[in-house]
Amino acid sequence: MTALGLLRRRRALLNCAPISQDHLADRSMRAAVSRADGSDEFVNQQNFDRAVAELIRLVPLPPESAEWFLDKEAVRRPKWTWRRIVLNPAVLAISIALMVIAGVFTFQVLGRLNDFPGSATARKLLTVAGSTRSVTLDPVSAEAGTLSDLFFMKHGLEHYDVPDEFADFRTIGCRVFDDDESQRIAQIWVAEKRMQFFLFPAERDSKTGTVLAFPGWRYVHQEGWVGAVTEHNGVCFMAVLQGREKDLEPYLSKAKE
Amino acid sequence: MLGDLRKAQEVFNTTLREAAVRAAQGVLPTESFWLFREARWLCLEASKTDLQPESLEIEEHDVAPRAASQIKQLEPAQLAVWISAAPDPQRTALALFYLDEFNYLEILDIAELKLSMLSRCLSQGRRQLQAWLDAKHTGAPEI
Repeated sequence: MTALGLLRRRRALLNCAPISQDHLADRSMRAAVSRADGSDEFVNQQNFDRAVAELIRLVPLPPESAEWFLDKEAVRRPKWTWRRIVLNPAVLAISIALMVIAGVFTFQVLGRLNDFPGSATARKLLTVAGSTRSVTLDPVSAEAGTLSDLFFMKHGLEHYDVPDEFADFRTIGCRVFDDDESQRIAQIWVAEKRMQFFLFPAERDSKTGTVLAFPGWRYVHQEGWVGAVTEHNGVCFMAVLQGREKDLEPYLSKAKE
Repeated sequence: MLGDLRKAQEVFNTTLREAAVRAAQGVLPTESFWLFREARWLCLEASKTDLQPESLEIEEHDVAPRAASQIKQLEPAQLAVWISAAPDPQRTALALFYLDEFNYLEILDIAELKLSMLSRCLSQGRRQLQAWLDAKHTGAPEI
């Protein structure tokens, strides 16, 4: 609709503006009335209409007809049933919006429930695990537990120890690299189920600098990859493989035994 | 609509009788306002035999702030006769609008009018009524 058409329609709506507020039928009428509210012309029109309507109410009805209207509405408004309320487009739209908000909120809460210090780094490293090819690592054939000395001697990385549960696995290769936050990350590839290990600094309190420790093993998931993370001496160790939690569980239960 | 109590009573009775017959036959229309539409057509039928208003240019004045007080000095019957003397569809528009029972969408439905037409009828009706009030009370519009 052109601007002129809109102006004409607004003018037409104002000419039909209801005498009582109960009859503001739709949004376009409400908008037209709210724009014109307070203008002299519109105030005159409303006063005029009210005065005429009051006088019309005084027009005598024939007594035989009048008795039909005792305590009755001339027009019975449609009843609001539950079905009508639920199917009302506004109610429907608000309900859907609230459900979406509740869903997003629940998803966020559930996501937070599994969070632990260092979980963000762990998730990033799962992506690294998914994109790493064995050729990018320096070939090393040794027991995983012995690489702690290599990391210390060659790269100066202290406490980058592979936990006992995974210490006996035969390695294929390893490397040390910096992540986007300049943290030193050690990556080990082992022959067992093409599993990968990551060692990275544990998260620290930004004010005090103390390590944010957490007990036991925690799981992280990302695009079909699963990681089990534990913290020891300020360094996190993560064992990663493509699969589900149950694929990692047997290795972790070994420690409990 | 009719400006005549006797005719209004007849139309009212006929409309109710029609509704009762349809209800008895189980053929009551499902449209919300069919009864009002029916009554309107009966009113128009009933007034066909009356003296019809001449089609002449009626004076029009802008609605003035004094209008409310001028209207209060009128007799209800005078206003009823003035409205019933208007040509249709202006008569229907004014009668339904000032009854203050319907919103504009319902009036469009009952009177089978378009918004532009209803708007013109009401706007013109106000201006003509103002001119009549001015002539009646002061003899001339205030400047």
